[in-house]
Amino acid sequence: MKHKMVRKTVREFSEAELGPIAHEMDRDARFPWEVVEKMRPLNFFGLQVPKEYGGADLDSISYSIVVEEISRVSGAMGLCVTVHNSVGIYPILRFGTDEQKKRFVPRLASGECIGAFCLTEANAGSDASGVETHAVSLGDGYIINGTKIFVTNGGVCSLPLIFAVTNAADSARSAGVFILESDMAGYSVGEIEDLCGMRANPVSSLFFEDCRVPQENLLGKVGDGIKIALATLDTGRIGIAAQAVGIAQAAFEASVKYSKERQQFRKPIAAFQSIQNMLADMATEIDAARLLVYRVCALKDAGKPFGKEAAMAKLYSSTVSSSVTGRAVQIHGGYGYSKEYDVERYFRDAKVTEIYEGTSEIQRLVISRSVLNELT
Amino acid sequence: MEERVPEIWVFGDYRNYFQNRVTLQLLSRATDLAAQLHASVCATVFGHQVDEWVGEYIAHGAKKIYVVEDESLKDYSTDLYVTLMERLAREYTPEIILVGATTFGREFAPRVAKRLGTGLTADCVGLDINKDGLLVQTAPAFGGNLLARIITPEKRPQMATVRPGIFQEIPHNYQATGEVVMIPLPDDLPRDRVRLISSERKPPTIQKLEDAAVVVCGGRGMAGKNKFRNLYELARLLGGEVGATRPVVYSKWADDEALVGQADKHIRPKVLFSFGISGAIQHTAGIIDAGFIIAVNKNPNAAMMKMADVAITADANQVCLALVKELKKRLRG
Amino acid sequence: MIRMIVCIKQVPMASELPWDAKTGTLKRELADGMMNPACKHALEAALTLKSRYGGNVAAITMGPPMAEEILREAIAMGADRCLMLSDPAMAGADTLVTSYTLAKAIEIFSPDFDLILTGCHTTDSETAQVGPQLAEELDIPVLTYVDSMDLKDNTIRIKRLSDNFLETLEADLPCLVTVNTQHFQPRYVTLSGLQDAFEDHNILTVSASDLALDPASIGINGSPTRIIDVYAPRAEKENIVLKGAPKKIVEELFDRFESRIGGVIKKDLKREG
Repeated sequence: MKHKMVRKTVREFSEAELGPIAHEMDRDARFPWEVVEKMRPLNFFGLQVPKEYGGADLDSISYSIVVEEISRVSGAMGLCVTVHNSVGIYPILRFGTDEQKKRFVPRLASGECIGAFCLTEANAGSDASGVETHAVSLGDGYIINGTKIFVTNGGVCSLPLIFAVTNAADSARSAGVFILESDMAGYSVGEIEDLCGMRANPVSSLFFEDCRVPQENLLGKVGDGIKIALATLDTGRIGIAAQAVGIAQAAFEASVKYSKERQQFRKPIAAFQSIQNMLADMATEIDAARLLVYRVCALKDAGKPFGKEAAMAKLYSSTVSSSVTGRAVQIHGGYGYSKEYDVERYFRDAKVTEIYEGTSEIQRLVISRSVLNELT
Repeated sequence: MEERVPEIWVFGDYRNYFQNRVTLQLLSRATDLAAQLHASVCATVFGHQVDEWVGEYIAHGAKKIYVVEDESLKDYSTDLYVTLMERLAREYTPEIILVGATTFGREFAPRVAKRLGTGLTADCVGLDINKDGLLVQTAPAFGGNLLARIITPEKRPQMATVRPGIFQEIPHNYQATGEVVMIPLPDDLPRDRVRLISSERKPPTIQKLEDAAVVVCGGRGMAGKNKFRNLYELARLLGGEVGATRPVVYSKWADDEALVGQADKHIRPKVLFSFGISGAIQHTAGIIDAGFIIAVNKNPNAAMMKMADVAITADANQVCLALVKELKKRLRG
Repeated sequence: MIRMIVCIKQVPMASELPWDAKTGTLKRELADGMMNPACKHALEAALTLKSRYGGNVAAITMGPPMAEEILREAIAMGADRCLMLSDPAMAGADTLVTSYTLAKAIEIFSPDFDLILTGCHTTDSETAQVGPQLAEELDIPVLTYVDSMDLKDNTIRIKRLSDNFLETLEADLPCLVTVNTQHFQPRYVTLSGLQDAFEDHNILTVSASDLALDPASIGINGSPTRIIDVYAPRAEKENIVLKGAPKKIVEELFDRFESRIGGVIKKDLKREG
């Protein structure tokens, strides 16, 4: 009953506050601060944060439901919320000192600051070893120089986590994750990217020019970077998978409604078997994807390893999302191709779920490695 | 013992007399029902200096009026009126009591029903007598999406509150006569537990959009602010008002004042033009009481098109411009 | 410090429901439920009064087991405790009997109260009767359709619009008010509130026998009114489709419907010449 109520509550909020403006947000690439203002007191920015830091302390299934329901109305806001919660706060909760948690988590959980995780660079996409952003130790802190690109929430985050190497010759063992504040000297935000989908999310580059970062802002120790990044991505995948399910769900619901209304050959197109087959497949695939997400949530909350399952959920959900939204446009025919209907937005939004937070190709790498390493 | 003629009572709700005709409408329906039950139509009037209302009710169908007149009753007091009605009903045992579903009536009637331990149906849109001689009360549910037929098989009196505007009043009959029964104010009436501190008649608010007989509504299909503006010209020629859907207001093609929908303004125009609106429930919930609907949309399958009396499959903006042109031509002549 | 009770009802989220002629009740289990909007406004009003004057808020509902959801929602919004009245014998109750059942529960479980708040009406049956009838059953004053409330010492003063009269009324506590949906916009439920509502709270559920109620006096058996039939009113729209060039369409529209449109705008729209 709790999960049902979480779904209802978030759906009601999303439909009321994001529903009417989702089309315009996407068209104008506008981040809806006025809705963020309303989301803050409702714990959307501290979903799995413990009560002592001002969060809602939700279980992972509830968290996935929140992300799914927001994404069902606005993929871009669902992205903002999941990235903030999973890769923006989670690393600090998992790897931070008590002092760091006290200093940073409440500000993030309240939504006062929005988080992000910056890994990708021009030469470092799937190949994280190509990272060039470096941090030079000064004894009581670091100076960071470099550029991160395609940062989700880039244009609005104020407490991003930055993955940097301290020794270019040995990037794997010298990487660290640093907590930066957007008002630090040397920190600047690049232009917002003009993207195909998720347009209301201000994705941008971040530039660090001799950015001075105090020692207390290093998460864990130098050398922990890769470990933190991998754990973070594993968790992040759950949210992205939930997001993909939400977008697919929206496209599916629109398709069901449309096929009942649209008449051709003197019948609603829902009467034709080819449409019925498409709807049946879409419903089944979305359900399977959702259950994969819930499965990995259950593993995570039980404290069990979940890397493979997270990759599976992300791989499958994103693939399903792209495919379902494509079929949704098809079912809508010419009207689906027009911006008058929302399905073309779902179609554009869905595609990136196969790319970010580890491409589908990387997910397959993770899964196959796990499968091949399993003890027989 | 002489067989008593059953009585149908109508509560005299005379406040706002000229806008509120519901008592007269109920007297008319009661007359029809009385014919089938061989009953007599009565009215009850509580208040101070009520001769005018007594006369009106007799002229509109009441054969007997029970009057309780006293200065202490000059302002409506739900508490006192409930007690008076309870006592009168216990003494004179009417078969049926009908009350108009005004804000007052909707509090008054349930309290009377509770005191008498009988059933009450709210906001009826139909009253009939069935073959067993029972009052069949037709009431809406789910905002009028469903209608329920209800009876009160055993308890008496059978009670119903009735929506204003459902029944037609009988024209004023100057020749009509009726019996007036003056009931003295009981001296053991309990003190009114609700104290009226102030009451002022509110001037009726001008609700241009909600009261407009013609509304021209526009949605995203109007494609742009400048094209949307053409709707204002059409509305002007028709003597109507312009309404808009939420996306239009968000894009600032129209003001917040024009917003028509479930959570916004509910309109009841006799003629509604709907341009480029898909028909999302958030909007259509605000137009369910519209009369003649003409919808224009490129998409013949839009929900709005299915709800319309006339569905025009064409570009909304082009039709708007053509309407303006044709109207000017026809109005000139 | 005011001790408040809010009576809330779960209504279907659907805009219509099939009716079971055999049991004489609506098939509520077929649709998802939600807290009736006016009840939510009443709850918001209670919570607002609580933050102004201090006190506590108890939420009561009578319904099938699925109605537990709205009690959890009430707690998530800020109610302090809840009572669930659930028993098959209570089903199919009309307003007389609903108010009787609620009154008995209040007398047993929460007899010391200052203010009862209810929504002015529900979106399913729309009778607006339970509030006034509950007040009668408990023999307390009632004020309906309130827009605003102020408390002072042991009195409540309200403002409301009743049939074009702007009224200010006062009554002594304990008293019952019904709240309309024009004011007291309900707050959104916080997710941490929802989490607490499920983890930290037990809901007391009582049946007819817990309330010492005779089954013949409650539910459908005790109701003086009986629904004999539920039906959807016929849709009357002809849905005439016009296609073609805008100019031709418009001419046809005015020619065919000249009286319908012209009659309303009070102008002659016949084609000249």
